[in-house]
This record gives sequence, C-alpha cells and structure tokens, in this order.
Amino acid sequence: MNALGRHRRLQAIWASAPGWKGWFSTVNHTDLGRMFLVTSFFFFLIGGVLAMLIRAQLATPHSAFAGPELYSQLFTMHGTIMMFLFAIPAIEGMAIYLLPKLLGTRDLAYPRLTAYGFWCYVFGGAMLLVSMLLGIAPDGGWFMYPPLTGAAYSPGINTDFWLLGITFVEISAISAAVEITVSVLRYRAPGMSLDRMPILAWYLLVTALMILTGFPPLILGSVLLELERAFGLPFFQADLGGDSLLWQHLFWLFGHPEVYIIFLPAAGVISTVLPVMARTTLLGHGWVVAAAVALAFLSFGLWVHHMFATGIPHMGLAFFSAASTLVAVPTAVQVFAWIGTLWKGRPQLLLPMLHILGFFATFVIGGLTGVMVAIVPFDWQAHDTAFITAHLHYVLFGGFVFPILAGLYYWLPHGTGRLRFFRIGEFAFALVFIGFHGTFLAMHWVGLLGQRRRIWTYEADAGWTTINLVSSISSFLLAIGLAMVLLDVILHLRAARRSPRNPWRAGTLEWATMTPPPAYTFASLPQVTSREPLSGDPGLAVRLAQGQGYLGEPRGDQRETLTVETASGAPDYRVVYPGNTRLPIVMAAVTGLFFLAILLKIYWLAPFALAGVAALGLRWAWSLGQHRDIGPVAVGQGAMLPHAAEVDRSPGWWGSLFLLVADAVLFGSLVFGYAFLFTIAPAWPPPAWLPASMVDLLGGTAGALVAMLGIRLATTANRRRGAPLPGLVLAGTGTLVTLASLVHLLLRLPPATTHAYHATLLVLGSYAVIHALIPLLMLGFLGAQHRRGYLSPNRRAGLPIAGLWIDYMATTVVLTLLLVQLPGLVA
Amino acid sequence: MTDIVRILIGPLVWLAAFSAVYALQGVACAHGWSEHEVAGASRLRLALSLAWMIAISLGGSVLAMLHTPRFRASDPFVRQVSLATAWVGLAATFWTLFPVVAMSACR
Repeated sequence: MNALGRHRRLQAIWASAPGWKGWFSTVNHTDLGRMFLVTSFFFFLIGGVLAMLIRAQLATPHSAFAGPELYSQLFTMHGTIMMFLFAIPAIEGMAIYLLPKLLGTRDLAYPRLTAYGFWCYVFGGAMLLVSMLLGIAPDGGWFMYPPLTGAAYSPGINTDFWLLGITFVEISAISAAVEITVSVLRYRAPGMSLDRMPILAWYLLVTALMILTGFPPLILGSVLLELERAFGLPFFQADLGGDSLLWQHLFWLFGHPEVYIIFLPAAGVISTVLPVMARTTLLGHGWVVAAAVALAFLSFGLWVHHMFATGIPHMGLAFFSAASTLVAVPTAVQVFAWIGTLWKGRPQLLLPMLHILGFFATFVIGGLTGVMVAIVPFDWQAHDTAFITAHLHYVLFGGFVFPILAGLYYWLPHGTGRLRFFRIGEFAFALVFIGFHGTFLAMHWVGLLGQRRRIWTYEADAGWTTINLVSSISSFLLAIGLAMVLLDVILHLRAARRSPRNPWRAGTLEWATMTPPPAYTFASLPQVTSREPLSGDPGLAVRLAQGQGYLGEPRGDQRETLTVETASGAPDYRVVYPGNTRLPIVMAAVTGLFFLAILLKIYWLAPFALAGVAALGLRWAWSLGQHRDIGPVAVGQGAMLPHAAEVDRSPGWWGSLFLLVADAVLFGSLVFGYAFLFTIAPAWPPPAWLPASMVDLLGGTAGALVAMLGIRLATTANRRRGAPLPGLVLAGTGTLVTLASLVHLLLRLPPATTHAYHATLLVLGSYAVIHALIPLLMLGFLGAQHRRGYLSPNRRAGLPIAGLWIDYMATTVVLTLLLVQLPGLVA
Repeated sequence: MTDIVRILIGPLVWLAAFSAVYALQGVACAHGWSEHEVAGASRLRLALSLAWMIAISLGGSVLAMLHTPRFRASDPFVRQVSLATAWVGLAATFWTLFPVVAMSACR
C-alpha cells in the first residue's frame, strides 16, 4: 500500500461523519479540540463584552448606564465566564487538540469521554447564558460567598444557575483531566520514556492532576450550598451549627490552585514556543519539570491567603503567608530558564515571540504584586480593593492570555495548513499590550487610593474620576486589539498562503503530521529516540506517512493505537477505539436534565435522569465487550501486543483509578468540612449525638469485606478457567449488606434541617450509599457479560475495574461509619 | 508509575505535613491547649514544635531514601527531578511551618 492509499484507507476508518451533523457524533480529538477552542473563545468574547460594560459603568461617577442589580450580574458573569467557561475549557481544547500529536499517538485515551465532556461544557455554559439573557444571572460575585448567596439574602434562582451550571461544567473539566492524565502516562509513541516526553505534556500532566485534586472541593461546596438553598440543610448558617467560613475554605481550596491550573499550561506553551523562536532547546528541562511539580504542590498550600481578613489566628496567617512567598521561587526558576534559553539561542522577533515578551512584562509585574499581597499587613490594606482586581488580571491575562495568543499564532499553521498573509497581528499585539497596561496599571493606582472592588458607582469628589476614565478608555483599546486578533484569524482562514509541513523548524512530533492534520493523525506511529524527534530526523514525517512505523497497515475498519509502559515507553498493549457515536451528546443531555430538574425544582424528575445516565453508562461500557479471544497480534517493527480487553490494567482501570483520586479528594473535603464544623462552628455541640449502632458499624464493615473477598474470588476463578459467578454473587451480597446498613443509618438520622451536624451525617451517608450502588451496578454488568460470553480467562479487563471500585467503596464506607458513630460511641 | 511516585513523594509529604500541622493548630486552639503549660512552655507550642520536627524528619528521610540504591531512580532524568522535588518538599516544610515557633498560636 502506498502513502496515498494508506491515507485514503485510514481517513475512511477515522473520519467523522460529513457535514454539520458530524459535529454531534464525532469522537475525534482534532475535531473536538477545535470545537472546544472555538466555543471557549466564543465565551471569551462574551466575557470581554461584559468587561467593557463594567468599564463603561465605571468610566464616570454616578453613571446612569447600569443600576446596582444589573452591575452585580455583569461582574459576576464576567468572572464566572472568564474562569470557568473560557480559561479552563481553552486549556482543555488545546490539550485535546495537541496532546496525541505531541505524544506521537492517534487519539486520546477515551474519545467518547472527550465528546461527553465537550457537550457537558456546552450545555452547562448554555444554562448560564440563558440566565443572563433572562436577566436572572448569578449576582453574588464569582466566588459566591454565603450568607450573601444563601436563600435568605439571594432568594431568586440566580445563585442556583451558578451552583448547578458550574457543577455541570466541572464534569467536563474532570473528564478532560482523567483523559489527559491517562493519555500522557500511557498513550505515547513507543520509546517515548519520561525523559523524552515533550515539556508541554509534562505541564499538562501536572495540570490534569491538579484539576483532579483541586476541583472536587468546589463541587462539594456547590452541592452543599445548593442543598442548603433547596432543602434547608444549614451547612453555612451559624445559628444552626453551620459556618459561612466553610464555604470560603472549600472555594479557595479550589480557587487558588485554579490560578496555577490556568497558568501552568500557559507556561507549557511558553516552554514549547520560546525555544523554537530562539532556535535552540529549552535550558534546564529537568529543572523546569521540577519547578512545575513544585508550583503545583505549593499552590495547594496557599488557599487561606484569600482569607487573611477573616480573623484567622496569627499563626495560621503566617503559615499561608510563608507558603505564598515561597511559591515565587519555582515561578522564578521557570522565568530564569526562559531568559537563559533566550540568552543561549538566536531569538527571532516573530509574532508568537511578541506575545511571549508581552507575557514576561505583564506576568512578572503580576507576580511581584502577588508577593506584596502575600504579606499579611499589606493584604489587610489592599483587601477587596481595585488593587486586587488589577493584580489578578496581571496574573491571569499576563500568565494566560498572552501565552495563549502566542500559542494560537504558533499552532495556527498546524491547524489550517496556511501561513499568515496579512500583518494585522503585530498591530493588534501593540493595542492589546498598551490597552491592558493602561487599564490595569490605573486600576492598581485607584485601588491604592481606596476604591473598593465591585462597587457600581462612586462620588465625583473621591479623586478617582480621571484614573477610572483612563482605565476605561484603555480597556476599549484592549478590546479593539483583541477584536483585531479575531479579524486576523478570520482573514487567515479565508486568505493565506500554503504552509510547508513544519514552518517553524520545530522538533516536536505534532509537526510530523500533515497540516491540517488528518483524522487518524499519524499513518504509522514513530519509535521515539530523543526529546525532539524531528530535529535530527527531518525525513521522519515522510517515513511515517509511508507506514514505516508501528501500526502502519490498517486492520479492517479498526481505529487502532498502542499504549506504552509509563516510565520506559516500551509498547504495552493494543487499543481499538469505538467509532463515531451520538451516545456522548445524548448522555450529556440526560445529565443536563438532572441539573435542570434540580434548578426548576422538578425533583421527581431527577432520579429518572440519574437512572438514564446509569443506563447510558452501561450501554457505553457494553459496546467495548469482545465476543471472542483475540490474543497478541503483530503491530509492526516485529512487536506482538495483546488487546486492551485482555490485560489486567486496561484503559478503563487507569481511568477509574484517576477518577477515584478525584472522588477521594471530594470525600476528604467532606470529612474536612465535618471536622471544621465540629471544631470551629459556633453552635456546636449539637443538641444530641447520634446514638452509636454496632449493627450499622459491624454490618456495613462485614458486608464491605465480603464484597472485597467476593470480587477477588471471581477474578481468581476466571483466571483459572473456573466460574466467576459465585464470586460475583458473593461480592453482590456483601455490597447489599453494606447498602442495607447505610440505609438503616440514614433512617435513624434526625431531620437534617435542624442542625449542620445532622445535615453533614446525611451527606456522608448518602455519599456512601452512592458508592455502594456503583459497584452493585458493575457487578450486575459483569454477571450479564458472563452470561453473554463476554468474559473469559483472557478477556478479563472488567473484573479488576470492579475490584477497584469495591475496594474504594469498602474504604469509604468503613471510614464513614466510623466518623458517624464515633461521637455517639465516645459520648 | 514508580518513577511518577518518586517525583511526587517529596512535595506530597510536605502537603500532608502542612495540612496536619494547620489542623492540629485549629483543633488544639479549640480545646484550649494554649492555656496549659508543660515544662514552662505551652502544651500547644510543644505539640506544634514536635509536629514540625517530625515533618522535617519525614521530608529529610524521603530525600535520604531517594539517594539510596534501593529507592533511587535508575533513569538520570527522573533521579534529577525527584531529588529536586524532594528538596522542595524539605525546604517548604522548614519555611512554611517555621511560624510554629515564632507566632502567637490562637490569637
């Protein structure tokens, strides 16, 4: 088969359905990456318009442009859209589009999950947009502090839109994070060991792990606040044992890492683009990786620096002040590595480089004001002033938007196969740079003069008028600059010259694909021998197109790729992806129905929606089953690899593992909340502790242990060609006993509306019930698979996945029962 | 995956220690430990200082273990990164928990 024949054959196997209908069934990462990016920039546009409305209002004192109610909606939606609907999805889009190409593989680990995440993002974002169009948008600020956002002070539906819409969108973030983590660790070209992994993949791996551990506290906080608003469970009401500070802890446990979740991928773009612009390699690659890891961890020890003004004891303040100053060190390591890279190379002042220089100037100023506000006495002076707004924009615009624009112009020829013809981008950069600094330098100044953030107007004699006018005029310059970037991109798409395959002479693998990239990405997979495979081997792209790598010969209509061992990059097993399907969009729509039911208070509908999601999930998994043993097959280069269904650590196992990491963080956050209220909240102890029940404790624990034993017996029997069914039945029986104990516990609880203690026990118990129901579904699924002949000693991948979930259930159930019973036992 | 664990373990120990000491400070203040003295020092200060020492010992142990042939990464790149992050963990333990001996605990 020649290269053209291989291209046509692979294109027929991998292509999405033609026309706009293909958008709804595509599972291809290139398509979905583009869809993510276009949608996120659409939200950026809306967020930008809201920013202009804010600046129009503040341009003059006593402006009649917007009243306080509307103004509250404007700034809340501006922050919410920029953080949740632009920045994070743009990162996801970039990762989804680029990662398989950078890693030398054909797609991400879970193509249908990519599509499901995208549609959850679209539907969740649409919910928030609808609220804005109806004039009932969230208005409590992007961090939604109770008691302002509690039912007493925000009785409308506005806050519910935020809590439910954002939680819905976060499903997308968690999906993408699982996807990225497993893809980077397992879905790489053969030979791509950890030291040969591209720097952007390292950054995206660190970011994905941060999303898995950073987002669950906010999901929990949103669930608790919605429970309080909808059903009166008083988690944040001081008179009933709650504490509004709990929300601040949960929110900022997410919120501060969020800043680094946004910055780190952008830093990855800088670390990728800057060496190419400087015609050299990144200085201190290993140190930069270590700095990224360090930054990720340190960012989880900073959350209280957003709460310096809440009356926390001095020692607590000092812990977080120290951590906040320390975070400057790994940031500086990266900045110096980039400066050193420029120094050792021969930099070219091309358009991506202009944006990188814009990043340097802006982000370093943002970092320095960050060190200022890390110092408690200064923070007390500047807290809740426009100085803080200016600081966060220097960090986020400087640390994210400039690098993203650099990346946009760097990878645009990859996505379109064209080179820019018009030179609008340079002029746009100048406007963006001048407009940004004019807007936010002025905002620092007016903040130091005492202007509070989020005020809708001010007095003419406050001395802020001229500064605010300068800031507003500059913001419009910034907006014109960004509009010109958009114009430049549209013109690029309409009229530009044909680009060669690797216009920047970069060394990373994404430039070895055709441009624009075909649906299958690589005609065959490379054997990687260096960190920049294209640098020393410009003929690699042609050889891959000729099928001289792994999987060079298409097999039937199968969408094939390989996984590798994490550290060494040695080929591990063969994966056959599912084809185009509308299942993800249908499942996202049914998931949306659940959120809509809660939002509109049609509570009877919610369980049906959840049941629908579960049924679709089972259908999703069922389609991956194999009717017959396949055994190892040739994948090229003399290698024979087994099918993913015939291994113990299948893609499903890896995905479950990292999903459970996020789940464990959510559980840990819930336990933290319980301990926080127990220790700090004013109206504790509650009127009475729940009496301990040894029946619940011993029954639940014994059931969990039996379930663990049962799934192990089933796995062993299956491997030894015996019958797995008795083990599955035993595991199911154990899980049912656990479930019965938990239900008994829930039935013993006093009304959850009477005290935060009772409400917390209800949530803990419900969490455990959900985590007993999931393994039960899995066991039923495995039983059905066994009956239909989908299980065999070789086709065993499903059993370890169920084992993982049962072990998790056992751990959380025992911990829950202990936590719930302990006060009663001690009393 | 062992190599990934080697890279993450140093800062992970710091994060666990940092959270634990912050939690200990909150719980101990709530239970009035600052008002009880042991050998001329407040019980709270002693407990926090002890926790800080344990945390530094743990961070140091991780760093030492990553130098031993048994736990050291065979790949030079992973070895460099894991040692660097272990140093970060240890330095962060020292710096961020230093306030246990310098600041008023419950005010």
